[in-house]
Amino acid sequence: MNDQSPIGPPRGFRDVLPTEARELGVIEQALSETFADSGFTPLYPPLLEYGSDDSVRRRRIQFLDSDGSLVALRPDLTTSVARLVAGRYREMTGVLRLSYIAPVFREEPAMSGGSREILQAGVELVGGDGALADAEILALLGESLERAGLAVCESTLQVGSIALTGGLFAALAGEVRVDVLHALRQGDIAGALNRARGAGMPADQLARAARALTGVESGPEAAELCRVIELARERWPGAVKGWGAPNLAVVPALPYYTGIVFEAIHPDAGVIASGGRYDLLIGAYGTPRPAIGFAIDVLQLHRALFAEEWRPRLQRPLVVLRASADERATLRCTASLRAGGLAVALGDVAERAGRAVIEAEVIDECRVRLADGRVTDAATLGSEIGS
Amino acid sequence: MRPLRFALAQGLLLNEALGALRAIGLDVSGVTPGGRRLVVDGGEVEFVLARPSDIATYVERGAADLAIVGKDVLLESGARVIELVDLGFGACRFVVAAPRGAVERSLDEYRHLGTLEVATKYPNVAERHFRERDIAVEIVKVAGSAEVAPLVGLADWIVDLVATGRTLRANDLAIVEEIASSTARLVANPASYHLRRREIAPLVERLAAWAAA
Repeated sequence: MNDQSPIGPPRGFRDVLPTEARELGVIEQALSETFADSGFTPLYPPLLEYGSDDSVRRRRIQFLDSDGSLVALRPDLTTSVARLVAGRYREMTGVLRLSYIAPVFREEPAMSGGSREILQAGVELVGGDGALADAEILALLGESLERAGLAVCESTLQVGSIALTGGLFAALAGEVRVDVLHALRQGDIAGALNRARGAGMPADQLARAARALTGVESGPEAAELCRVIELARERWPGAVKGWGAPNLAVVPALPYYTGIVFEAIHPDAGVIASGGRYDLLIGAYGTPRPAIGFAIDVLQLHRALFAEEWRPRLQRPLVVLRASADERATLRCTASLRAGGLAVALGDVAERAGRAVIEAEVIDECRVRLADGRVTDAATLGSEIGS
Repeated sequence: MRPLRFALAQGLLLNEALGALRAIGLDVSGVTPGGRRLVVDGGEVEFVLARPSDIATYVERGAADLAIVGKDVLLESGARVIELVDLGFGACRFVVAAPRGAVERSLDEYRHLGTLEVATKYPNVAERHFRERDIAVEIVKVAGSAEVAPLVGLADWIVDLVATGRTLRANDLAIVEEIASSTARLVANPASYHLRRREIAPLVERLAAWAAA
């Protein structure tokens, strides 16, 4: 390393230090337990996938492998899971319940300060079809957020449908509809309506689409969504009655969704999770299977929790033990404290990450002196801290 | 919850934006163009005045819930916001322009030298346009008055925003092609739009009706 090398990590990447890492660990644990309680089992797709020059490319971090092939840091886990299911589970026609907690990588413009590494926790239900599967996954998202500590209110989960939103523009010719949906994925509702008007969509249908996308309520088109939301509330009642809001203006930027879509939104953190049905994606790798899933942006969830003054539950305190001159007695004393159920660090701990510390000094094999001068043994200290 | 925060671009669009908001019944009396107060209470909403190029950032990052901003600013910034209403005013176009009668010469230069120099205040719009066209260009970023660039030999062509075209004519420039047209848009932060739809939707409806009239 020469003197000119910058000390920090590359643009868009950052170090996660112990205070933050501990909190993320607590969140991840709550999420993985929730996933496991619904039968989802973790897997680890690879960090690298083959690159390509499709439309998502602009947000991929791609480079050439040593054999000349184009590879990309995975931009998304759903696509990796779809590839893996189509290949490794080609012969298995039953339902797969898969989960992951892993980073994905997306290109951000220079100078934007945007993060290029995103930590995702999610599930994919492969082979599950219909309103029952839709409701189960939507409910699991609500439950996961709540078990991680988030207050899920009426408007936290916004539920849309690509099929229903696309259906508003059913009168348009194929390629105009593609343009309109593309504009909606970019968040350009005004542009989508302009394009539809320009292509001669009848005024009453245009008004209906405008009402569904920008009105106070999403209108009668959303009735099908209300049914799924009601089913989901049966599976997970939640702390507030009536969680889940039908909203046909929810159109995620990712192009592979085909049916129900949903986003979890927090006033301070923005979109903290998104998901939906993607019945054609696995088929693109060879074996068509219906599938639905979601991914939680763990760092955004942490941001939302922090804004609501959530703090991780306290860990048991750490005994920081100062050695005596007798090394053998010091190590035996450490062992007896550990055997008494205590967490012990021998020597100083400079980075405590908010953890409570009890300072003690070794006297002999089984006794220590505390900071206030009191002398105690491993069993007594263990029961004091335990109580 | 705080009142809806509405960002307004100081500059060319401000008077028309205020007119539109007044027409749909919002109290904009506290907002004075060129004034020093940049955060103004407007009853059901709070107004924030900022430079046009910052408006997109404010809304994208949720510092403001709503804004009226030109499509030109959105195109250049690439900000992820929801565009709700095309308000129709503030019409202008992104164009590629070259010295009158010099298009042939610059195309000849392109054949020989393989690249063109393009001066612009809008490097993202310019870069995207020429990449889509597969034309190799060197973008020269300037902070103002791109129209001077060909006159002083800084660049062959310019990409600029034009409303009437008078500035181009005055500098003896002619439009080579149009990149995109722009008008003022009502935009919203995506999270705010979904979470506060009940408050935002009536404003959208009134502004859409105003724009259509």
